[in-house]
Amino acid sequence: MSKIKVGLPSKGRIQEEMNNFLTSAGIDVKKDGGQRTYVGSFSNFEGFEIRFLSANEIAKELNSGNLHLGLTGLDLIRELDSKDSSNVIPLLELGFSRADVIAAVPNSWIDVSNMKDLADVSRDFVRLHDRRLRVATKFQNLTRNFFIKNNVNNFRIVESIGSTEGSPSAGTAEMITDITSSGKTLEENNLKILDDGIILKSEACIFASINEKWNEIELENIQKFLRVLSAKSMAISHKELTFNCHKKIDNLELNIFREYKGFFLNNFFEAGDNLSLIVPNNNSSLCSEYLISLGYGPIKINKPEFIYQNNNDAWNRLASVIF
Amino acid sequence: MNKSVNNIINALGGTTKLANLLGVNPSAVSNYRQKGFPARLHLKIIALCEEFSIPIDNDFIDKSKIPLKVIKSNSNEFLTHKSNSIMSSLSSDGYQLIDPPILVPADKVIDRLGETIVDRLFIFSQKDGIRLCLRPDLTIPTCLYYLDQGFGGEKKLYSYFGKVFQFYDEEENEPTEFTQTGIESIGDQDSLNADVEVFVKIYNALKKEGINNFKTYFGDVSLFQEFINVLDIPELWKKSLLEKFWNEDEFKILLDEISKKNINNDKFAERVYSLDIESALELVRGTINSSDGSFFAGRSLEEITDRLRKKGESYSLKPLSDSTKKLITEFLSIKDTPSLAISGLRKLCKSLDRSLLNKIDEVEKRFEIINSNGVDFNNAIFGAEKGRDVEYYSGFLYDFAWNNNNESIYIGGGGRYDDLIKLLGSENRIPAVGAALNLKKVERISQIESL
Repeated sequence: MSKIKVGLPSKGRIQEEMNNFLTSAGIDVKKDGGQRTYVGSFSNFEGFEIRFLSANEIAKELNSGNLHLGLTGLDLIRELDSKDSSNVIPLLELGFSRADVIAAVPNSWIDVSNMKDLADVSRDFVRLHDRRLRVATKFQNLTRNFFIKNNVNNFRIVESIGSTEGSPSAGTAEMITDITSSGKTLEENNLKILDDGIILKSEACIFASINEKWNEIELENIQKFLRVLSAKSMAISHKELTFNCHKKIDNLELNIFREYKGFFLNNFFEAGDNLSLIVPNNNSSLCSEYLISLGYGPIKINKPEFIYQNNNDAWNRLASVIF
Repeated sequence: MNKSVNNIINALGGTTKLANLLGVNPSAVSNYRQKGFPARLHLKIIALCEEFSIPIDNDFIDKSKIPLKVIKSNSNEFLTHKSNSIMSSLSSDGYQLIDPPILVPADKVIDRLGETIVDRLFIFSQKDGIRLCLRPDLTIPTCLYYLDQGFGGEKKLYSYFGKVFQFYDEEENEPTEFTQTGIESIGDQDSLNADVEVFVKIYNALKKEGINNFKTYFGDVSLFQEFINVLDIPELWKKSLLEKFWNEDEFKILLDEISKKNINNDKFAERVYSLDIESALELVRGTINSSDGSFFAGRSLEEITDRLRKKGESYSLKPLSDSTKKLITEFLSIKDTPSLAISGLRKLCKSLDRSLLNKIDEVEKRFEIINSNGVDFNNAIFGAEKGRDVEYYSGFLYDFAWNNNNESIYIGGGGRYDDLIKLLGSENRIPAVGAALNLKKVERISQIESL
C-alpha cells in the first residue's frame, strides 16, 4: 500500500488558520526530522504523507496529479483550470481564509459602478487611446472568463506578481482584479469594487486530484480523515440551540429549515421532549427570536465541538469520481 | 472492387512494400485485398498512386465515406503536392512573395484581436520582458512587415505562404499549426478595383485546384454603417449601435434598451448634462475630489465628464420607434443569393436617404464586375450582418466553406481592413484588403474533389 500524499500550506495566513483548525479538530501535524523539513505526517491518522508547500504549489501539484489531497484556496484552483476544474475537485469547504476575487477601478471613475459601465468605457477607451484598457491581475483566467461573460471585450491583461492594487496609481494598468478579504488595501489605494464585480467567493477547501493514482492506497484512512474534518468545519460554522418542546407546532421543522437552514438532531419528537437544533452561526439569534415568538423558551445556545453527520459528503464526492 | 484494390496494391510494389509505405502491418494490407481500403487511408492511397503515376479506378472510393477528420487532421503528410501550384497562382501578377516574421509582439496581436484570442496564442517573454507570440495568422505579420520596410501608404502587393499557430481546439478539431497561404493588397486607393482583384485571384486559385463544391458567403460591414448613418435617430444611438455591431449579444441588449423609456435615471448624469460644459467639468472635478479620486488611470476628466453627459443626454431622448427597431432587425436578417439580397435591401430601404441606395448600388456594381471576371454566384450568399465577428474588417468581406455530408468546413476567406494598419502603428489610415486559404484543407479537399 502506498501513502496518501496530502499537500498542506507551508506559509501565510492560510497556514496559521489551518493550524488553528487542525489543532481544534484534534489533528496533530508532525514535521519529520525537525522544524525545517518539508515533509511530515499526522500522529493520529495512519497512512498519510504530508508535503508542506505554498498554497499556489499545492494547486499546481493537484492539477498535475502529484498529490492525492491538498488544502488550498478555491481561487487558486479555479484560476488553474477555470473552464471546468475537471482535474481537481473540491471535497470540503473549511470556512476559513475567506476572501473574494473582485474587479476594482479607480475612485475617480465616478461614471463607472458596474460591469455594464465597464463594457462601455472599455469600448470608448480603444477608440480614444488606440489601445485596450489594461487590467492588472494575478488571476488571468478567472478575469478573462468573467469579463467576457459580462460582455467586456476590449481589455488587455497585464500580469502582476506583487502588489496588484498599486498598478493603477503607478500607471502600469487602468484597473485591477485581485483577492481581498476586507477591501482595506483597495480603499487605501483609492480603488472601488464594482457593484457586480465579485468574480469568485473563495475560501480554504480540501481538494482531491483525479489525476493521481487512487488504487494503491488505503481509502479507509481518507474516509476517517474527511469525516473528522467535516465534523469540525460543520461545528465551527454552526451553533446548537437547545430548548424544551412543551407544545407541538405544525410544520416547525420545515419552517426552521426554510427560513434559517436549521435542522434538529432529534429524528422524531413530541411535546415535552428536549430538542437540539443546529443552525448556521449567523442565523442563531434570528432563529431564537423566532422560537421565542412561537412561545418556546428558555433557549440555550451552545458552541458544539464536533458535529458528525450520518453522511460523509466529502467522502461521497471523492468516491463518485475515483470509483 | 477487390480487383482494383489488388491491382493498386500490386502496382505499388506488393503487400510488404505498401505496408512499409503506409506504416502498417503486412497482415493489414492482406486484409485490404479482401475488404478494400479503409476510408481513413483513401487520401493516402490516392496520393501514393499519383506519386507513382498509377491510374486509379474512379469508383474504388466512395467520397461521402471519407471522414471529415481526415481533412481536418493535424498530420503533415502529403502537404507539398499542390502547394506549388497554388503558390504560383497567388504570387503571379506582381504579388511579391514575402516571408513575414513568425514571432510578433503579443501585445499588438492581442490589442487587435482581443483577449479571447489569448487562449489560442503561444505567448512567451523575451529577456527584457517583452511578450512575443507565434503568429496566429499572416495578415498582421504582413502589415508589420510593410511598416518595417518603412512604407506609409505606397501601394504594395504581397503574397505569402507559411505556418501559423493557434492552440488546438478540441471542439473544432483544428490543428495547432497549419499552413496558410494568401495575398494582401496594401495602399491601393482604388478600393473597388483592389476588392475585386484580390477576390478574383483567391477564387481562381481555388477553382484551379479543381475545387468546385464550395460556398462563398459575402458581406460588407460598411453597408450596415451607412444604413445606421441615414436613419432618423439621435446621433448618440447611431454611435452606440455602430460600436456594438461587433458583439451580437450587446447589440441586442442595446436595441431593446433604447427602444423603451429608461426608468433608472442616473440623477447625477442628468445634472452633468444639464450644465454648460465648463460648469459640468467643475462639478465632476469636485465630485471626484470628494470621493478620494486621486488619479485618473489613463482616462481624463474630460473623458469621464463626456461619458456622464452622454448618459444624461440618453435619458432625454425619445425611445426608438417600433418601426425603426423592426427596420434594423429586418435589415440585419437579410441573407440570400447576392441578387436577391440586393433587391431585398433596395426594397427595405427605398424610403431612406439616397446615399444608402448609392451604397447598395456600389455593392451591386462590385458583384457585377466580379461576375464579369468569370465568377458565378450559383453557390453564393450575401448576408447583411456577415462580418460582425471579426472587428478589424471595414468593408467587403467573404468566407469560403466546403460542404460534404451536410457538414461545412471553413477553408479560407478575406476582406477589407482599412483601419488595421493605423492601429498597428502607421501615422495614416492605409486602405488594405487581403485573403487567405488554409492550404492543408485545400489540398485534401482538392484530392477528394478530383476523384
